[in-house]
Amino acid sequence: MNERDDVAIDDALVNKAQQLFDESVNGLDGATRSRLNRGRQAALSEVSGGARRFNQWIPAGGVAAAAIVLMVVWNGNQQLDIPQVPEVATDMEILLNEDSLEMIEDLEFYSWIDLDAEIGGDLEPVNNVG
Amino acid sequence: MNAYAANFTVSCKVEDRREVVTLQREARLNRFFADVEKRALQIAEISIRDRDEALDLVQDAMIKLARNYAGRPDAEWTPLFYRILQNRIRDWQRRQAVKNKVMVFFGRGAEEEDYDPIAAAPDTAGRSPDQELQNEEAMEGLQGALAALSGRQREAFMLRMFEGLNVAGTAVAMGCSEGSVKTHYSRAVHSLRETLGEHWQ
Repeated sequence: MNERDDVAIDDALVNKAQQLFDESVNGLDGATRSRLNRGRQAALSEVSGGARRFNQWIPAGGVAAAAIVLMVVWNGNQQLDIPQVPEVATDMEILLNEDSLEMIEDLEFYSWIDLDAEIGGDLEPVNNVG
Repeated sequence: MNAYAANFTVSCKVEDRREVVTLQREARLNRFFADVEKRALQIAEISIRDRDEALDLVQDAMIKLARNYAGRPDAEWTPLFYRILQNRIRDWQRRQAVKNKVMVFFGRGAEEEDYDPIAAAPDTAGRSPDQELQNEEAMEGLQGALAALSGRQREAFMLRMFEGLNVAGTAVAMGCSEGSVKTHYSRAVHSLRETLGEHWQ
């Protein structure tokens, strides 16, 4: 048997298999066709249902996106701000400074200088040591 | 107010357009499923020899295609659909093999007898009883010969010959190279010829 015969036999076998298969497909009973149809409708409802679900989520998605943008902007500003030092901390810093402690010790002297400046410099110092 | 009305109109037009596109896609998908479903059922049934299960697998494959791949170009639907179906068939066969092992372990044996040839028998309308009998016997022979092939050879043969996919499409459906498809197909034809050749000549 030569190669051409082999090919012819294979072709005949394949053709017969196709023919039998097509007949079995065409001979499907009504109940089976009906079940296939129901399955198809169930599958198609996924397409319209999916699109509808997508459309329903558009407003909610918009609100969510706006909220996210707002949060990002807010956080961005927070990060750009120069860090604020609390006022109490600043006061404490001044009070604990060595010079400030000296100022507290000579508080009366500084009060006198302040008063003297206001009335024109005629007062004598309170703790005049000289 | 006019700006609001204009925005609303544009929004409605976009919505309508989207709805039209969805409807068109649904109609094309309906035609595709109607064209492919019967052959897909027969291919699944030959593979697992259970019509009810085959129907479920075909429906699952249709749902998955519609859910995940409906937006892909129409030309890709056939190989994608068969890829999903073949994966479902392989999963089913794996589960069934495990189930049968467990059944054998508990002494109940395989459930081959659940296959009901009467329920699965084709509609005989328009054919003479002799013709019907001949076809039935030939189809049984073909199914037996196909069942004796390896899974990959059977897939390659059925997708190429029964569904009419080309080599590239069959490769996508089977998840392998085109070279593998050619090898599996060639071996399948060779085996079928050895099994059926004498009866069919």
